[in-house]
Amino acid sequence: MASRPYALLDEVATRPGRDTAVSAVVRWTFITLSMVFLAALLFAPLATVIAMALAKGLGAYFATFLDPDTRAAIRLTLITALVVVPINTVFGFAAGWSIAKFEFKGKSFLITLIDLPLAVSPVISGMIYVLLFGLQGWFGRYLQDHNISIIFALPGIILATMFVTFPYVARELIPLMQQLGNDEEEAAITLGAGGWLTFFRVTLPKVRWGLLYGIILCNARAMGEFGAVSVVSGHIRGLTNTMPLHIEILYNEYNFVGAFAVASLLMLLALATLVVKTLVERTGYRRR
Amino acid sequence: MSITLDQVTKRYQGVPVVNDVSIDIGDGEFFVLLGPSGSGKSTLLRAVAGLTGVDHGRISLHGRDVTHVPAQKRDVGLVFQNYALFRHMTVADNIEFALRVRRVRASARRERRRELLRLVALEGMDERLPAQLSGGQQQRVAVARALAHKPEVLLLDEPFGALDAKIREELRRTIRQVQRELGITTVLVTHDQEEAFALADRIGVMNLGRLLEIGRPDELYTRPATRFVATFLGAANLLLARQTKNGLRFGTLGAEGGADGSVADVPQGAREQEVVAVIRPEEIELAPARRALVCSYLAAGVVEEVAFTGALERLRIRLSAGAAEAELSRAANGNGDGLLEVTRSQHEQRAFGVTPGQSVAIGVRRIHVLPTPLSSFTAYAATLAQATELSLHPLLAELASRMRTRVSTRTADEHAAITGAAVIAAEPEAVAKIEWLLKEGVEEVLVLPQGAGPPQRVLIHWADDAARGATLAVAASLLRHVAAEGVYVGILPTSTPDGQRPHSMRALLDARSEAQAVHGLEMRTELRFGDVAEELARRLAESPDQILILGISQLTGLGARFGALLRPEARSPVLIVHRAADLRT
Repeated sequence: MASRPYALLDEVATRPGRDTAVSAVVRWTFITLSMVFLAALLFAPLATVIAMALAKGLGAYFATFLDPDTRAAIRLTLITALVVVPINTVFGFAAGWSIAKFEFKGKSFLITLIDLPLAVSPVISGMIYVLLFGLQGWFGRYLQDHNISIIFALPGIILATMFVTFPYVARELIPLMQQLGNDEEEAAITLGAGGWLTFFRVTLPKVRWGLLYGIILCNARAMGEFGAVSVVSGHIRGLTNTMPLHIEILYNEYNFVGAFAVASLLMLLALATLVVKTLVERTGYRRR
Repeated sequence: MSITLDQVTKRYQGVPVVNDVSIDIGDGEFFVLLGPSGSGKSTLLRAVAGLTGVDHGRISLHGRDVTHVPAQKRDVGLVFQNYALFRHMTVADNIEFALRVRRVRASARRERRRELLRLVALEGMDERLPAQLSGGQQQRVAVARALAHKPEVLLLDEPFGALDAKIREELRRTIRQVQRELGITTVLVTHDQEEAFALADRIGVMNLGRLLEIGRPDELYTRPATRFVATFLGAANLLLARQTKNGLRFGTLGAEGGADGSVADVPQGAREQEVVAVIRPEEIELAPARRALVCSYLAAGVVEEVAFTGALERLRIRLSAGAAEAELSRAANGNGDGLLEVTRSQHEQRAFGVTPGQSVAIGVRRIHVLPTPLSSFTAYAATLAQATELSLHPLLAELASRMRTRVSTRTADEHAAITGAAVIAAEPEAVAKIEWLLKEGVEEVLVLPQGAGPPQRVLIHWADDAARGATLAVAASLLRHVAAEGVYVGILPTSTPDGQRPHSMRALLDARSEAQAVHGLEMRTELRFGDVAEELARRLAESPDQILILGISQLTGLGARFGALLRPEARSPVLIVHRAADLRT
């Protein structure tokens, strides 16, 4: 009789998937653990952000957004996202397409390059551009002579953001395109469709959910990027401050309400993105 | 002709996957390309559809050369193995796709769609998405979609591959019916011989990128020309036999003059030689004793295995000593046990029931003799150890396994006659050995240097015109079993007067058309000027993976003329084909 608990464990081990008291305990332990973990690490900070933003009432909260510098930061963030996301979408599609459909020299090198921004610290990504285009940089003298400003201006911010966010669309599309293969395109071609028609009627609809998901992730990262942008922007209020940078400045000035109010807006954008993503996933997976 | 392929060749990284294939497919014909996976049949179909370019050769559809026409302008309908339906479109949109591309009016599109759905028996499924259909239904939609724009030819790439047996048969019938109703020229690719038999007007059998044989299903089954087709289309027992004036002799002892010429398709007036005989399992009769046999006696044997498979009984019989020598080693087939396969009907079982272990007399109703010049190989060396080592040479082992034949060994002191092609190592005395072997009556000698691998190219040359037919026959036989291209190298002396050159060119082209007409062998031709042996050596030195087939009819001066090609330091194998000039007439 002493072996009874072992027998039960043995049974669990030998018959996975079967409901027993032990497996129920294990299941609930794991679920609770992850819930508590999420609550501590995610929900608590989010709640704090909201609480701090509204600490002095709704009036103070909305007053933040009347500040011209804040508005400029919001505008800059939106412009950056608007430029970066379409460019990276096109690039990601092209890269995904070429990697999934063709065999060529340097293919694995290209895949590694695409992953690079994920591996490199964003601060270093920003530094690269300073080294290239800054006054002491390789092209600094030339740019100054021709009166072109990249660092501490909008082009620098866009470049840095682009660098950091370019893997997202490509990484989402590569496995999807590899999995779906070429057959539908080939069928379309034998049925008489030309290249563009095949692309818009067959390829694009085929990968649209993966593409949309990649765009959403890319957008979320583009709006929230801090490190790389921080290095290249120069933190000029009202001019080169994006929302994440602006939040930091407000915080450092002990303007907690302002900082958290802008943070809540950024958070709202992220949440909206995530909601769209979830919706996309649901419809996407059902249709696939 | 609806589809004409002329010497189509496709290479991947230098290796030919489709090798010099020429076919003419008639209007309304149902043509099946049959072959194991990797035989190049799908690549060939894709080349016809325009999805794969070709490196060499021409493709025409209804007399229109489409070799360089892009796929979307070829007007073919292609059905894929995994359906390849547009998964985001409904059945209706899928079928109408080709019509939409061609800007056909909506009402006409709807009409055509209804017609097609009726044809494939899927009425009312218009608004379903592909994911909501079963595999068989999806493939029906794919067929309808491929037919929507009334293509000139319908191409089907293993269309039943992903379906289970019942559905497969049903869909097979539908496709045959649709094909008959529309009278559309159809090419179907499959690896399933049963499917090929059920559907085809004609079958083309492919292996290693080469089209081996074309013919009506019954023709190919009863009179295959190659070992591959004999064993790939249904089960076959391959036996080595000695063809004599009185008929075929199997084995070395015992089975004397068994099957006479009347049951075997033997080319009339052929000289005495070793041949490969095909005996279908259902052509074998069993009886308790030789007297009781209705048809010709083959040998005695012992029943090893009896299996009941419904309509037929499947037996495996071990041939008695002596006769067993005839059995070709079938290690290549995966059942290298040297047993004779027999199938018997219920009726035959009732007449004479057998149990394992029982001795029986074996008779054959029909024997088919393959017209192949390379029947078997005999490794010949001074000692048994050397002969055994030679018989294990990777290239020889590979050749024997692909040709489903055996490699036996012979040493200098044995006195039995050498059968089939002799194999010797490339060594200083090679020339003397070859001369001795050829005098003994051996007709083909393969000289193998150490470390030679499977060839990518087979060079063909005959030094004397008397050896031409035999050389071509041997080359054709070899090329059917290796994934290599055949190149005939014609060599003229530098001193050839200009006036005679057109004549020589003519001879070159004649050789090519003879190869094609008589042996179904496609080859390229090259013309060189200079000393024969020097030019051949130069050509062989160009790349390592080559083999030379050299036809000769005179023994004198062999060493002086070709000795350099046969020395140990030569890297390429040389297959010498000898036919004495006076014997040819």
